[in-house]
Amino acid sequence: MSTAKHTVPAPAAVDEETVFAEIAGMLRSMLDEYGLDDIEIAPESRFMEDLELESIDLVTLAGHLQARYGRQVNFAEFVAGLELDEIIDLSVGRLVEYVVGCLKAGEGS
Amino acid sequence: MAMVHTGGPDGVRLHVQRLGPEQGGPQQDRPGRGGPGRGGAAPTAVLLHGLLTDSLAAYYFTVGPGLAAAGVDVVMYDQRGHGRSERPAGRYRLEMFVGDLERLLDRLGIHGPVHLVGNCFGGTVAFSYAVRHPERVAGLSLIESEPATGAWAAKLDRLLGYAAAQLSEHESDALAWIDAHHGGHTARLARSAARLVRTTSIARDIPSSAVLDEGRIRSVRGPLLALYGADSDMAAQAPWLESLLPGTRTVIVPGHEHSVLVEVPALVLEHVLAHVLDHDRDGDRDGVREPGGRPGGRPRVAALAGLETAP
Repeated sequence: MSTAKHTVPAPAAVDEETVFAEIAGMLRSMLDEYGLDDIEIAPESRFMEDLELESIDLVTLAGHLQARYGRQVNFAEFVAGLELDEIIDLSVGRLVEYVVGCLKAGEGS
Repeated sequence: MAMVHTGGPDGVRLHVQRLGPEQGGPQQDRPGRGGPGRGGAAPTAVLLHGLLTDSLAAYYFTVGPGLAAAGVDVVMYDQRGHGRSERPAGRYRLEMFVGDLERLLDRLGIHGPVHLVGNCFGGTVAFSYAVRHPERVAGLSLIESEPATGAWAAKLDRLLGYAAAQLSEHESDALAWIDAHHGGHTARLARSAARLVRTTSIARDIPSSAVLDEGRIRSVRGPLLALYGADSDMAAQAPWLESLLPGTRTVIVPGHEHSVLVEVPALVLEHVLAHVLDHDRDGDRDGVREPGGRPGGRPRVAALAGLETAP
């Protein structure tokens, strides 16, 4: 598990396709580690129902996100603002939208 | 993620996540800080999760970020056997969990009094810690929780004995039933819990934990907040706990059972944060914002504040 550095610059290209590819890569390495390498990752995949991740795995993902995107992406706060049902139904695509939104907001400031 | 080995003969590797007051985001590998009142340092709150199906995620995605955003130094960890922490084969009596908390705080360099927040079994650990180390506790928040009494041990013996028997004899049937009735996520959590029960002595160890008599319970000095779901079995204990600790602030959440932390996190955050700020022992609140004053604060907090609470 790599330790987060808080100084990683945001990617130059902030588009959904790039961010999806990056997040899918993080999820792929986590799933491979759990021996779930046959699970497909798509924008509509839900973390818990489809990718079979537990809530503690989302904490690991939060660490990966911070290592990649720095402080402007705060996954813990994003999830804490959701209702329980929304957390259970959270999809990869919804997270991608959130990350892109944060990065664009960061660019504008 | 930071893994911290607690050291010593009972040492285990614990998965720790820390959310700092500076940015309300995860802090990793940060050197330890003192407790409240140390040269303007923020109050420290240690959040303890419950048994078997629980992990620090229960806080990371509920009250953790809000506490950090309001200026609290938040320490969360997976208790032994749970989440991403080490799962030793044995040594799961309550005393071991209390020892883990002691040694973890030492390892993190946190020597001043801390606020302990415990959900269910996490609160039981926090309470025993407070009895053992009154000087290291600034305040206690128990969420759907109770001190370790003889009655508690007997109840856990029944519950864990039942769970162990069901799982060892009918694990696949039981998990299929949970999957059908509670959904896949609960079934996956149950699978982790099943692994813990099946591969360790936790179901036998917890009921044989050291328990507290009423005199020891009365000895707790830290101010106590006790939160219950109105429809939970646990709520019936409120008058008893208040009789032993008259300063206790009790909050009963109507329309909820045991899972108040995940079902109404905004309400739990508001009460826990107020309790932490009210009892920041040295009164040094530089940089600590009052509840509701967090940037981009969620309207949910305000909306739920109207819920009735018992005096």
